[in-house]
Amino acid sequence: MIKNYIITAVRELNKKKFYSIINMVGLAICLAISTLIILWVQDEKSFDTFHKDYEQIYTVNSILQNNDKEQVWPTSPAPLFKFAQQLPEVKNASRVNLEESATLVDDKKKQTYSDIDLVYVDQNFFSLFNFPLHAGSIENFQQDLAAILITQNLAKKLFGEESPIGKSIRKNNTTFIVRAILQDIPQNSSIRFDAVIPLTFYAKRFTENGGNGEWKTIDEDLGNFYFSNYIQINKNVDPAQVAAKISDYYKKAQKTEVTIQYRLAALKDIHLISPEGNQTARRTVQIFSVIAILLLIIGAVNYINLSTARSLERIKTIGIRKVIGASKKQLFFQFVIESVIIFSVALILAILLILLLIPSYNELAGKSLAFTLSNPEICIYLTCTLLGTLALSSIYPAIYLASFQPVQSLKGQSTQQDGTNRLRRALVIIQFSISIILIICTIVIRNQLSYMRKMDLGYAKDQVFTVPLSDEHIKHADAIISELRQSTSIAAASLSGFYSIMDYGNATGDINWPNKTKENQAIVGRATIDQNFIPLMGMKFVAGTNFTGLPSDSSSYIINETLAKQMGLKPPYIGAQMSLHEVPGKVIGVLKDFNFKSVKEKVGPIVLWTRQFKGTLYIKSNADHIPEAIKTIEKIYNTTPSERPFSYNFIDDQFDKIYKSENRTAFLFNLFAGVAIFISALGLFALSTYSAQIRIKEIGIRKVLGASVFGIVKLLSREFVILVFIAILIAAPIAYYLSISWLQTFAYKINLNVFTFILGSILSLSIALFTISLQAAKAALANPIHSLKDE
Amino acid sequence: MSAKNMIKITNLQKYYRTEEVETVALNNLNIHVKEGEFVAVMGPSGCGKSTLLNIIGLLDDLDEGSYLFNDIEVAKFKERGRSDLRKHNIGFVFQSFNLIDELTVFENVELPLVYTNVPAAERKKRVEEVLEKVQIMHRRNHFPQQLSGGQQQRVAVARAVVNNPKLILADEPTGNLDSNNGNEVMQLLTELNEAGTTIVMVTHSEHDAKFSDRIIRMLDGQVIMETTSLGS
Repeated sequence: MIKNYIITAVRELNKKKFYSIINMVGLAICLAISTLIILWVQDEKSFDTFHKDYEQIYTVNSILQNNDKEQVWPTSPAPLFKFAQQLPEVKNASRVNLEESATLVDDKKKQTYSDIDLVYVDQNFFSLFNFPLHAGSIENFQQDLAAILITQNLAKKLFGEESPIGKSIRKNNTTFIVRAILQDIPQNSSIRFDAVIPLTFYAKRFTENGGNGEWKTIDEDLGNFYFSNYIQINKNVDPAQVAAKISDYYKKAQKTEVTIQYRLAALKDIHLISPEGNQTARRTVQIFSVIAILLLIIGAVNYINLSTARSLERIKTIGIRKVIGASKKQLFFQFVIESVIIFSVALILAILLILLLIPSYNELAGKSLAFTLSNPEICIYLTCTLLGTLALSSIYPAIYLASFQPVQSLKGQSTQQDGTNRLRRALVIIQFSISIILIICTIVIRNQLSYMRKMDLGYAKDQVFTVPLSDEHIKHADAIISELRQSTSIAAASLSGFYSIMDYGNATGDINWPNKTKENQAIVGRATIDQNFIPLMGMKFVAGTNFTGLPSDSSSYIINETLAKQMGLKPPYIGAQMSLHEVPGKVIGVLKDFNFKSVKEKVGPIVLWTRQFKGTLYIKSNADHIPEAIKTIEKIYNTTPSERPFSYNFIDDQFDKIYKSENRTAFLFNLFAGVAIFISALGLFALSTYSAQIRIKEIGIRKVLGASVFGIVKLLSREFVILVFIAILIAAPIAYYLSISWLQTFAYKINLNVFTFILGSILSLSIALFTISLQAAKAALANPIHSLKDE
Repeated sequence: MSAKNMIKITNLQKYYRTEEVETVALNNLNIHVKEGEFVAVMGPSGCGKSTLLNIIGLLDDLDEGSYLFNDIEVAKFKERGRSDLRKHNIGFVFQSFNLIDELTVFENVELPLVYTNVPAAERKKRVEEVLEKVQIMHRRNHFPQQLSGGQQQRVAVARAVVNNPKLILADEPTGNLDSNNGNEVMQLLTELNEAGTTIVMVTHSEHDAKFSDRIIRMLDGQVIMETTSLGS
């Protein structure tokens, strides 16, 4: 029996190649793309879940209450760890200090390796987290101040195939010995590093360097907020309760009046929710999950539509089979088997498609996703998806086809045609509603990203690049700058503490001004610049003037508008008293706000001064002289011997790097929306082809009676156009709601306007019209003699 | 001893209803068909012949009256009972052959056996036998479109008889055939009848009707005359 079903199904599919291919390809694309989306979603959700106790691990965020606003920092002072350890609710705790872009030197090979991410960790780090060893030992790690652990990746980079254990590597003036190799950090880890140095080393150096004011050890230093404190709390303990205890402790231990609170953020949420609570990433994961389901629905809808639309053609065969003795059940299974065959072929195609697409997909998504059928989760997902879609899309057509009355069937009539027409129309509306929602959302995302890209950041980034300087270069910075000024390719040069103007995290709470209240606490961005920086970057003054380059600058501060507001300053601002790190001075200028962090966040307060460390050279080249400018600086740089090789970064590139993730998300969204629209159009194409076919005789008669080609195209298109219009009415409010809730996650956003919706509607209508007209025109242009002779 | 009735239909009423009109298709109709009989039903288009044939074949419902098939009242049978009775007792031959285009000659003939769960080996044997009988064995692997009309109808007859039905219902079996092919098919039906199969055939052709034992003539949904066929 089954053999007969299969033979019939295969021949039926072969006979109707066009529909079979549309069905299979449509389903395969839907299955493949939704699987790729699910892989991405799974990966995003899997961040930090490889740690055994990830559900109980939290990081301590610092919250600064500033009137009614709060500022959140993902880091906190080192002593909190000590206190947390004493709490009965806390099972384990560890503190980590990250040093980004460090330079390591192999003196034997005379090789320098820059951009190494280092962490200083305590011993608990290895019991709290799962970062397993590959080789070597971490016993007595904290006692061994010369110990360094490196990842397999870094080991390969530094030592190639040689065994790294026992080898030495230098960082600044300290030589470290590789004691162990750590397995590479999983790609889905929020905590990322290349090498690990004992925290005891860091603590010793901190004390040797004089500590931080009156705090001489890291265990006392309540002023610096650059530790990530991780704690594991017992099950069933409320993290808020633990955070309250930590806040209390801090309040008691801190001698000055501050209103800093601490909050625990779950490790598993770190990747998707920013410390400030921005949930764009999480929302994106949710949106993508929904798109995966929508794609499957669109695929299933196509299948139902094509199967039921073709029923008229099959009705006679069904009648014959019934007359011969086929029962409803037998016919039902025959159609289900046909679906199973289509789905099986679609599955094989989908798997091939996934394997084909996954390398490019990984590149686009910036991931290293793997698709393998030996992964039980993938197998379960594919099986469930397949069975779900199969059930959704095959049961109705099978029941529908099997229930034809034999006598009417033999005459080629169906008593249920009206009902299925209604269903088919409803399904087309659903399918197009989904597509229109996606089109509108795509336009909104595109507009928002383009708005962010074109937003006035408060400075001009064109032709500006930065060169990080080594300690040796910093010593000769003035000479370097005056040499640079002589080059015709360079318009301006400046020395600054802004290691990145786009993503600058250096900040302090050690700022004071007269009448500063207890409620008005702030962590303020703090950067060192010279007198050339503001003109080079084209920043605008709201009031006051720039630094002069004279010694008097040491008691001058330039602040931004946000800080001026926070300090309660009123125009003309100038001359207001303030102190930074207990150095008193006065405000000489107020700058128009500029974005020194992601434009997703509101501009925070920042103070600029001339003292302290300036390690980054800012160069603005003359237009069309960029390569020369780079060559000039490289030449000057290389005249001073240093371990840090010359490197440069265009601000434009930094910008692209910062918004890479947004751009990737937008690209993926465009891609997924495009696939959804393509599949819907494919379904509509097949449906309109079919519609033209069954009306071929009517078209013939109309043509004989004098109908024009346009008239016939209009006749055939009208129904679908009405359906798409209804879909627009359904989709617009849903798209509006989704867009508004997505835009809410941005501090600076576009205004939604009617034009976006009109454009989305016109676009979808055009796609539908184009699709339908292709077939309608073909039918209308056909010679009526053939269609009329068909009887 | 005269043969017993295979079909006994009494006071049959059949209406076709649309939203506005009710048309009487069969009106107070009474007929019987004996086991082994060959009956031709004749009449002008629209007189209800095919409707009657469909009711006899349990493809259509009757609105009023009684239908005894081998002394069993089948008028109120549900879909499943009808389907069972049909596949074990009745074979159909249509004017337009009604072969399934996607199946070969062999598979078309095999289909009724598939639906009655006959084992594969048995199916093969029976299909080959019946294909030999209708002289189409050499075309067993062809598809219907590759055959002439006469050959297609021979396949249809083969399919109708493969399950050894007690009754064959033929609806204008020669309507789409030329006279030579038509005669061949009629010859085939006659042979089946001689072998014991009851046949009810709807036809417009006086020539074909002559192959039957009895002719029932209908007009406007009623039997107006029954005659013994001159050819029998």
